[in-house]
Amino acid sequence: MKITCSINITPNKVVVNGKELNYTERGEKLLTAIYRRQINDYPKFFKMDSLCRLGFVASELLLNGEPDRFKPREDRAVVFFNSSSSLCNDENYQKTIQDKNNYFPSPAIFVYTLPNIVTGEIAIRNKYYGETSFYVLDRLDIESMEQIINDTFQDLTTKSVLGGWLDCKDKDHFEAHLFLIKDEETSSLTNWDKIIINKIIYNKQ
Amino acid sequence: MGHTMIVKIADNIISPLGFTTERNYQAVKAGESSIQLHERHWGIPEPFMASLFKDGEIDNEFDKLRSTCKYTDFEKAIILSIDKALQQTAINPSSDRVQFILSTTKGNIYLLDNKNEGFSKERALLGVSAQYISDFFHNPNRPIVISNACISGVCAQITAMRCLQSNRCDAAIVVGCDIQSRFIVSGFQSFKALSPDQCKPFDVKRRGLNLGEAAATIIYGRKNRTDVDNNEWLVCRGAIRNDANHISGPSKTGEGSFRALRTIIQEKDIPQIAFINSHGTSTLYNDEMESIAISRAGLQSIPVNSLKGYYGHTMGAAGILESILSMQAVDDKNILATRGYETCGVSHPLILSNQNRPTDKQAFIKLLSGFGGCNAALLFKRGGLL
Amino acid sequence: MNEAILELKKQIIEVLNLEDICPEDIDENAPLFGGGLGLDSIDALELIVLMEKNYGIKLQDPAEGKAVFKSVSVMADYIEKKRTK
Repeated sequence: MKITCSINITPNKVVVNGKELNYTERGEKLLTAIYRRQINDYPKFFKMDSLCRLGFVASELLLNGEPDRFKPREDRAVVFFNSSSSLCNDENYQKTIQDKNNYFPSPAIFVYTLPNIVTGEIAIRNKYYGETSFYVLDRLDIESMEQIINDTFQDLTTKSVLGGWLDCKDKDHFEAHLFLIKDEETSSLTNWDKIIINKIIYNKQ
Repeated sequence: MGHTMIVKIADNIISPLGFTTERNYQAVKAGESSIQLHERHWGIPEPFMASLFKDGEIDNEFDKLRSTCKYTDFEKAIILSIDKALQQTAINPSSDRVQFILSTTKGNIYLLDNKNEGFSKERALLGVSAQYISDFFHNPNRPIVISNACISGVCAQITAMRCLQSNRCDAAIVVGCDIQSRFIVSGFQSFKALSPDQCKPFDVKRRGLNLGEAAATIIYGRKNRTDVDNNEWLVCRGAIRNDANHISGPSKTGEGSFRALRTIIQEKDIPQIAFINSHGTSTLYNDEMESIAISRAGLQSIPVNSLKGYYGHTMGAAGILESILSMQAVDDKNILATRGYETCGVSHPLILSNQNRPTDKQAFIKLLSGFGGCNAALLFKRGGLL
Repeated sequence: MNEAILELKKQIIEVLNLEDICPEDIDENAPLFGGGLGLDSIDALELIVLMEKNYGIKLQDPAEGKAVFKSVSVMADYIEKKRTK
């Protein structure tokens, strides 16, 4: 398997294929800034919780410039991992039901109390009918990620995976390390293996 | 299929209907249900129908394990289920050739409430909770948690298949569980998704779902094709597909569900299939969507059932619990009744019944859908079909 | 724009996270759903919460909501008649 594109987003930095992009905003505002500069025509962004916003802008940067970008397809899987699940937003939902005297459970917040919703948002945006999955690990374990994404290709329909680590602890603390991985022979592309993934994530390229 | 088969080694169900697979199957076959009305429960203003464990039920059973560590109800139910499944095998869970795979939507989420039984909020992290469970069995591998909404139970089985096919493990312990709470019930109420009475899958009078809680375990292993017995259960093909339509509303074309079915079925499989065990949650939209998907896939002449009328929607446990009961049913030459169904209320007629029906076929499909537009299908066959 | 309509529009914009929309952008007589705001089934459920939280009006289900949420004007009229807060 080969990595054709990679992206890292932390509250202070946006890196695409090893090159840092120029943003002065930080934290939650950084995600909005990426949306404004990169997309700006998808108002649904503002209904999303922080995890979805992170995954959405990261995937937009990853897919930017891909030929036939919005052509419906079933051969691409979206596979994410994290350790926080949807806890960041779960806390927001809990606030709407915590106080018995101010009990107004919010459906718009409740719908985002599942971590896999971000895979659905990306599928909707890009018309991906393929596999969408979400795994939770106790920490960023590169070997598990590598193996599970490799396993995803056992579904013979799947020819590429948009996948990686997508974690949000609160609206200003998050990290995304996403990759576009393809089942291709081209030797000039980077191998999808744990040593290389490690270098990209920890910026040792 | 190649030469390597993924076989079921053992299973268990822990539910308000009983603590063994056998007890659960007999209860469901007899038409029993643990769904009841709960009023002013967890301080929720509106009453709701759900199948819940009785107070202390899990604790009493768990105490028999004489553990010195503290576990949440969620973890206790899972440990119990795994333990009972393991007892049917010679597998040593502390081996590094054994992989734990856990399916859950919300885990210990009720710990976010103020009354959190003395556990830190960190215990609400699914990976942390899974680690406590796997540590109970002294397993050295990092447990994998699947949190893919209500299809998690099928996804976990697919993950197990793939892990076994890759030869990274020799046994995969797949367990699914969700425990109901104020958090979950209030959320579904805000979606107006709950029925005020007994759920009625595919019925013209259906008004929504009932919620439930359970833990269910399947232990899978790997065998050569030539070593498989006639009555052994094989999980053959699984697929996960997205509707790419809406994050909570089902697709009007049943897109993802149809594509998942299409991927796992070959023409030659169709005459072998005893039934499709659907998601059948009894919401207006889900059941309609499934009827469209099944029809589009050309499978409308295969009997369909839903088991939500016995346990309600057990979320992370559903895919595993319902697969186990379906295997039991085929072994018993039976298609379990769709409890709560009377009159067809979906636009594409399906072969449904509120009675048990006989069958001598030896394969079935497990179908599920979930929030996020995801859908999953899994094809099971008995060894005799090889 | 009358006071109650303006207030309602601001509340709708807030609870539905319509970030780039101002009250002036919403035509109070135009259909709320199926119009340019791109509202969906979840938004309808949130408006049900808004009615109860801000005005003490309990709508039972999305079907009842359909008639009430026809437009901002229709909503405002309904609130005027039925509010308990």
